[in-house]
Amino acid sequence: MRGMATTAVDPFTIEIIKNSLVAAGDEMFYALQRTSKSTIIYETLDYGVGITDQQGRLVAQGNGVPLFIGTLDAAVNAVRDKFGATLQRDDIIITNDPYGGGGTHLSDVSLVMPVYHNGELMAYVANKAHWTEVGGKDPGSWTTDSTEVFQEGLQFPNVKLFSRGEPDQSLLDLIAANVRLPDMTLGDLWAGVAALRVGERRFLGLCDKYGPTAVRTAIESLLDHGETMARQELARLPKGTFEAEDMIDDDGIGNGPFPVRVKVTISADEFVADFTGSNLQVPGPINNTRTGLVSGVRAVFKALTNPEIPANGGAFRPVRVVCPDGTVFTAQRPAPVSTYWETMLYATDLIWKALAPHIPERLPAGHFLSVCGTILAGQHPDSKELFLLVEPLVGGWGAGHDKDGDNGQFCVGDGETYNIPIEVTETRYGVLVDQYEFHTEDGGAGEFRGGKGVILDYRIVSDEAYLTGTFGRHRFKPWGMNGGQAGSNNYILVMRKEGSREQPVGKVARRRLERGDVARLVTGTGGGFGDPRRRPREKVLADVHDGYITSEQARRDYGIELT
Amino acid sequence: MRVATDVGGTFTDLVYYDQGTGRFGATKSDTTPPNLERGVLDTIEKAGLDASTVEYFAHGSTVVINALTERKGVKTGLITTKGFRDVLEIGRGNRPDLFNFYFRKPKPFVPRHLRTGVTERIDHRGRELMPLKVEDLESAVDQLRDAGVEAVAICFLHAYANPVHEEQAVEIVRRRWPQAAVLASHQITREWREYERTSTTVLSAYIHPIANGYLDALERELRAKGVGSPLYIMQSNGGVATMKAARANPIAAVESGPVSGVLGAIVLGGIIGESNIITLDIGGTTAKCSLVEAGRPRVTTEYRIEWTRTNPGYPIKTPVIDIVEIGNGGGSIAWLDEAGSLHVGPQSAGAVPGPAAYGRGGTQPTTTDANLVTGRIDPEYFLGGEIVPDMDNVRTALKALADRMERPIEDLARGIIRIANANMGNALKLVSLNRGYDPREFTLVAFGGGGAMHATALAQDLGITKVIVPTNPAVFSAWGMLLTDLRRDYLRTRVTRLDDTDPAEVVRHYAELERAARDEFGVDGIDADRLVFERYADMRYVGQEHTVKVRLPNSDGLDSVEVGTQRFHDAHQREYSYRLDSAIELVNYHLAALGLVSKPELIPLGRTGKGVETAIRGRRSVDFDTGGVHMTTIYERAGLEPEMTLQGPAIVEEPATTIVVLPEQQLRVDEYGNLHIELDQR
Repeated sequence: MRGMATTAVDPFTIEIIKNSLVAAGDEMFYALQRTSKSTIIYETLDYGVGITDQQGRLVAQGNGVPLFIGTLDAAVNAVRDKFGATLQRDDIIITNDPYGGGGTHLSDVSLVMPVYHNGELMAYVANKAHWTEVGGKDPGSWTTDSTEVFQEGLQFPNVKLFSRGEPDQSLLDLIAANVRLPDMTLGDLWAGVAALRVGERRFLGLCDKYGPTAVRTAIESLLDHGETMARQELARLPKGTFEAEDMIDDDGIGNGPFPVRVKVTISADEFVADFTGSNLQVPGPINNTRTGLVSGVRAVFKALTNPEIPANGGAFRPVRVVCPDGTVFTAQRPAPVSTYWETMLYATDLIWKALAPHIPERLPAGHFLSVCGTILAGQHPDSKELFLLVEPLVGGWGAGHDKDGDNGQFCVGDGETYNIPIEVTETRYGVLVDQYEFHTEDGGAGEFRGGKGVILDYRIVSDEAYLTGTFGRHRFKPWGMNGGQAGSNNYILVMRKEGSREQPVGKVARRRLERGDVARLVTGTGGGFGDPRRRPREKVLADVHDGYITSEQARRDYGIELT
Repeated sequence: MRVATDVGGTFTDLVYYDQGTGRFGATKSDTTPPNLERGVLDTIEKAGLDASTVEYFAHGSTVVINALTERKGVKTGLITTKGFRDVLEIGRGNRPDLFNFYFRKPKPFVPRHLRTGVTERIDHRGRELMPLKVEDLESAVDQLRDAGVEAVAICFLHAYANPVHEEQAVEIVRRRWPQAAVLASHQITREWREYERTSTTVLSAYIHPIANGYLDALERELRAKGVGSPLYIMQSNGGVATMKAARANPIAAVESGPVSGVLGAIVLGGIIGESNIITLDIGGTTAKCSLVEAGRPRVTTEYRIEWTRTNPGYPIKTPVIDIVEIGNGGGSIAWLDEAGSLHVGPQSAGAVPGPAAYGRGGTQPTTTDANLVTGRIDPEYFLGGEIVPDMDNVRTALKALADRMERPIEDLARGIIRIANANMGNALKLVSLNRGYDPREFTLVAFGGGGAMHATALAQDLGITKVIVPTNPAVFSAWGMLLTDLRRDYLRTRVTRLDDTDPAEVVRHYAELERAARDEFGVDGIDADRLVFERYADMRYVGQEHTVKVRLPNSDGLDSVEVGTQRFHDAHQREYSYRLDSAIELVNYHLAALGLVSKPELIPLGRTGKGVETAIRGRRSVDFDTGGVHMTTIYERAGLEPEMTLQGPAIVEEPATTIVVLPEQQLRVDEYGNLHIELDQR
């Protein structure tokens, strides 16, 4: 409305600006998705976009996956630390440093741009996305057997990509020369730039319309609002100290298992997650760094407080993360970090496991936990071009105090993540899918039943293809609750065309497959809730009728004989 | 006589146009569930129409969407490719409610024991890898029949590329079980993505018998009443279909209610010469917006029911006019969260208890209540004078909130309207700015009960220079149906790289679709010379997933691909701020086929020459928020005549709508009685 800029800031205008900032985050999110060239971005939505204020405090974030929630403000702050006030309008900084600077693994690349209004620094817009290719020793860049970060791709140590709107052609050429699919990688880069520009445009629109003072006031109010809402929920959480421990299977190169633990202390004004005592950093690439740890904790804190309201920095003011440097959660350079998410997810799951018995209305039993990520690389039989199928897989969620677990959903590390349709997979990649269905492996029995995992068979139809995959929880099962059974394991099974089956594994790197071979991917069933014997007979019979469980499981786990 | 009827949740509307006299008429009567056709008959009765003079009869209803959302369809079974029976339940595996670890995935419409796989396989190029195993299919049919299924959905992998197995399966099911309703995916959609296609087919089968039962009853009753004209059914793509076509594919009507308002705006724009339009339809619980460019709506197949920020919903790949809907309407409730922030909607007081003003037990303030407090709605003329608003209750409701905010209730009322406007403004931005369209280049057409109350403030905010409030805004949707054409949309997924494809091949695909359209319309009795085709292409840069729809020239010249490519680059730049040198793919061939229906020429309204002051009802103080508080002239719309003008601030009232004209805005009445409000945006 004209004239608004000169009037005092009233609470209604503040609300409107707050909502508009959140909407701007959504819009950046949409722009990146629609223009990206990587399935990992446009289907898996493995990216986040956000706006911070000029101090680097998170104002609004658009998320595709919950576990980017701690990374954007960290990236902005690394940029502020390095460049201070020297940044100009339309400069764009690129960074993927895992050990500082908001990075996680090299594939997750952040772009940060300052927003100036009439020469005054008002905000930063940022995004972070999983680029399908950043070079490194293996196609798809992430791998399960690297031993140092230098094998994992190009490092962007917080450097200028654009100066005053002009891209650094040398840097673009350097990137193009060091990645396997330069068209795709640069496509992702442009998508990220487009999202930044959308965010800048919307933010400046607000400054023009309401004036910078009103916008700044609204940002303070937004952060305070986030904090107030979080503290009110914090006050309702059970107080005390809660502990959990678990085991991470291995590190991909033969070491493990590794014990990890958490001690959660909830008081009237603080939520402290202490991971002291967890395993030290390991030789293989499952190491997580501090940014990922903070994200993992923030995600579960949000689940416990206000899952429904938009996230901002204020909402996390009560959260404190304690962990010494050099653990598997807080690895130091140059530890390999390619599959960091497997360990980051454990951070979330440990807190979840510690608190679930005390907050059953928000936390069901353990789920299959792993992203179950695969890379299938090969030559497309039609086009003869290199294809890279990079995707996560759905699995079973845990049962809750009043519901069966969801069947075939992505893990907590994913979110608004879409599986790749079979018809798209078969068109784009050199494979044929033989089946994509729920399985009936043992596990998850309970008064409320764990959700079903799936079985997905890829039959190779190109001359050869290479499979890399990381399926966590292939040794240690999703946990049950209140007497419910544990779930089942995730695993990868290679079946050769002549009929032989290899040993099921959790991690493979570049396993060579030939035409006719089948890569079978199996995800776990979630943990059960409550004693299976208390499950009503008609529900058990219905499960058998639907084929969710076998008659043998009905008899053995539920004590129900089928006549 | 041309007649259109529109069955809504509460009322059934009827609009007619007498070609002899040039007179429009409208009437409404109660909607009569479960036998909705009775309400339709009631309106004909109430309007006093002679059924035998009806030459054109168009109809829209909520039968399909209601059967879906109320889960009142029939028991449905699914036959699919062996190994893929869980595709329907897995869906896309997404969890939009990111931080909710206690998520509840939507339940599939077909339980697992009624989903059966049969041996067959087609590959992505449409080649048969494994023939359809007939014994598998027969045993599936027997199993579903024994389970008491009434409708069968068939969806096989890659049937969009080659439907031969689906065709065989339909044949076999019909032969073995003639009583069942059978639908295969290729009959409804020819796009790829198996989950979306399966969901579409399942939901179609689920409502098929219900919708057909309704259409049968409607036709029977209308014929018995003496209506002898062809009957047309409103579709979600903004056109109508013949009764026969509607019966074959009833899911195509799923969103016919909301889209008919957009259609009305297009028809109106055609008459008065406005081709770039943003529509704003505000009802009791929602506001809906859509963008019309060059007289054409955006038709997409990315439609889902029950889709929210926290729910993945259920996709239906049927062509639907792209509408953004948000939970903000006249009945939206204003509330404070635990941290003291004010929100409006999406919860609505609905019709019961309704806004506090209804005095039916509503204790929470709504947008309507705020509009009463500011004086924008006349308490003396609330709902056309049918209800005396309970102003004490309104003030009590507002005061509870105002006290918590330590503000006077007048401030709160302004704040509620401002936040409601901001919410609606965001919806308008979603259809315009977010897609790279500058709203200043569009005219805002406002209708529904609340459209005209908020439109002028929204236009001011977005820099829009003209708002049009049509005559009878409350029955505008039905009005549009009076003057529409038949429409069929054909979408085919066939991924074509344009850099290594002969343009003649692209043109040939469109020619094929046009042939199919001519055949299908021929069956409807529509001759080829009454068909108009529009070619669209969903295109993207190679490597991208999402597409941008562009229009291709109709010419069969080879340059049409070149023109389309150029338009794609431009559209991509407009929407996403950059263009690339990369190769381009055409993913979906989309043909819109319009079967032109002869339409009457509208006759301008007469004038008596009286002055605008004869329409004045009175004056009262109205609070225009940042526009100030003014003693304002109130006009009765019925008293306005073509060419009259008036100056804001002003309020124009009609029984179902209040039109707010802000200070410095001018209103002009056009020759058909539509109100044009001009804004000087400088």
